[in-house]
Amino acid sequence: MAIEGGYGFLEGVIFVNSCDAMRRLHDVWKRYVSTKFIHILDIPMGNLSLGSKYLEIEFLKLKSALEKHISSPIKEEDIKNAICIYNISRLLYNQLNSLRMEDPPLITAGSLMKITSDFFKVEPEVWNEKIKQLIEEKKSDTPKVEQNKNPRILLSGSPLHEIEFIKFIEEIGLNVVYEDLCTGSKFFDLNVKDSNNLISSLSEAYLTRTPCARMMQIKERADQIIKNSEKFNVDGVIHHSLKFCDTYLYDVPALKKILVENGLSVLFIESDGGLGDVNQIRTRIEAFSEMIKN
Amino acid sequence: MVSHSMLKKYFGQLETSLRSKLESKVTARRRFVYEIARIGSRIFDNDWSIGWTTVFVPYEILNSMGVSGMFIEFFGAMLAGSGMSSKYLEISESKGFSTDSCSYHRTIIGAAMDGLIPEPDVLIGASIPCNGGVKALKRIGEIFNKDVFILNIPIEVTPDGVDYLTDQYKEMIEYVENETGRKLDYDKLKKTIKYNNQAREYLIEVNNLCKNVPCPANSNDLKNFIIFVLLQGTKESVEVAKLYRDEFKFRVDNKISGLPEEKYRLMWIQNRIQFKTDLLNILEEKYGANIVIDELNHIWWEPMDENNPLRSLANRIITHPIVGPVDRRLEVITQLAQDYKIDGAINPAHWGCRQSAGARVLFKDALQKIGIPLIHLDVDCVDERNYAPGQIMTRLEAFLEMLSSY
Ligand code: SF4
Ligand code: SF4
Repeated sequence: MAIEGGYGFLEGVIFVNSCDAMRRLHDVWKRYVSTKFIHILDIPMGNLSLGSKYLEIEFLKLKSALEKHISSPIKEEDIKNAICIYNISRLLYNQLNSLRMEDPPLITAGSLMKITSDFFKVEPEVWNEKIKQLIEEKKSDTPKVEQNKNPRILLSGSPLHEIEFIKFIEEIGLNVVYEDLCTGSKFFDLNVKDSNNLISSLSEAYLTRTPCARMMQIKERADQIIKNSEKFNVDGVIHHSLKFCDTYLYDVPALKKILVENGLSVLFIESDGGLGDVNQIRTRIEAFSEMIKN
Repeated sequence: MVSHSMLKKYFGQLETSLRSKLESKVTARRRFVYEIARIGSRIFDNDWSIGWTTVFVPYEILNSMGVSGMFIEFFGAMLAGSGMSSKYLEISESKGFSTDSCSYHRTIIGAAMDGLIPEPDVLIGASIPCNGGVKALKRIGEIFNKDVFILNIPIEVTPDGVDYLTDQYKEMIEYVENETGRKLDYDKLKKTIKYNNQAREYLIEVNNLCKNVPCPANSNDLKNFIIFVLLQGTKESVEVAKLYRDEFKFRVDNKISGLPEEKYRLMWIQNRIQFKTDLLNILEEKYGANIVIDELNHIWWEPMDENNPLRSLANRIITHPIVGPVDRRLEVITQLAQDYKIDGAINPAHWGCRQSAGARVLFKDALQKIGIPLIHLDVDCVDERNYAPGQIMTRLEAFLEMLSSY
């Protein structure tokens, strides 16, 4: 899609050295797509004592690359301001997300995924205002939710961009109440501290946040899934891995063991993230749904 | 459930049989494999601690601490070579490991689950060449209830990056000390750098000799030579490298070519096919096609500084062509293609590998620019269950035919 010009509207792309596939995507993009600003950020994994210092240097490198690109310095107060705005976004998301603690949830996963997806596309201030309004509305009127006794699900795994995929799960008769995904609720599980070294605060926040599979800390990852499953009172966990996504696929057997030992019902599915051939997963999700209902 | 005594026996027998062969005649290849077998046996030697690792870790440091390091991908390859990978692949698959990931790793995970490998004292995984390696090591660690020390290899060559890796090496030394109670012998470490530099000189000569037309080596002489990393920094590594140099020099001086009639000169990208197959023999015998250079045999690093061993080692790995954006790797591949005067290149495009299969278009474009054809075999180098030799051969034949008309 990018090669055919589908991302022509982008001024720049920042890649992250998250996995082998992402590094290759960066290579291919650099060669075949003419985006003006292309940068790759190296984020360390695992052992973090030295990593945090290194990530600071990486952030500073990104900062100067951006400054060069826009031919103007990025001021300390700009960073402070941005951190503040994004912290508010995360706060607001979590307020909204807490509506899903109700049973049935007062907001659907489909609409929340749409909100999340918008977050990546619009100015954060604009988004913040919209969400504030939405929260007010939800507070004042009795929410129009369809009463259902559907099982409550935490969805974990590889990033998912297809809102349709979440809707598909909901249509089967499950309430998805938390997305432990880099493109879902987990994305907003971060808080950057104010300090007199903001770059260092950013580095620390990103390295100590709830880890995704790429950070190689399966125990911490499992702990968070368990914690959120309790908090959101879920009946089961669905873990979805994208085909060929080593990062998540390699976690499957070990994660399964930990989650099951902690009394969670888990379904592991693998797909290409689209809705091309869903019949096989549909049957498995339906069976899982039946199982956890009882 | 098997026990690792089987493995001990395997290395022991390999060592003995090679020793007797060496007694009758010394060849560089024999000596090389013999030294590797000795390292294999060493994991059963109580004088050494055991370290399971991924491929790009500094064995010089481990050796200087009395830790015998062994990379898991080598084991995956070795099990494939002895016809045992299918069994272990089935074991890991039955435990839920996806067939989409690299079979080098799935094989060793299966083997570890089956009790084939002895318990490691330390586990060290580097972020390069692939994330799967660290993940696989993590899963192996869990079997023994041990965590993995991770080395993040910076993707850009900068002084900060070299500092960062050097500091990680220092932390790694502490980790190994804590886990094994063994201390780093600094003088020994300095000596490994000296040996390393000596071996490096010989290997550069070896490679330069292979640029001759015809090449003094055949496709098997330097096959899987990447395992040489296990010897790096030892006296034996210098001896092996020198043997190769002497042998190839003798052949060049006496106009003996590796292949009696070299018609096509080929470059192999990344790793070879590990299970037994007569593919290369057919290529050699029937078509006179010779692998004259393996991409991974290229010596990319600068001589190292004995007085600054950790930083030198960090610098060596950061500058590896496979680290970071693909640009450096493509430059090296292009340069090798020209220096070795190759007619064509083969990329196995190993199933599930982002380095080999994932960079296919990039290789193709880079080589196309200098007019060198490339074939992607699309084969799984370790898993022979779906291997279709006839089909691959037909494609290779067509490829060679095309080369002849170039
Ligand atoms: S989804 Fe998986 S393979 Fe794709 S970028 Fe993320 S971690 Fe990498
Ligand atoms: S073949 Fe590729 S995926 Fe497998 S170990 Fe090597 S670099 Fe990693």
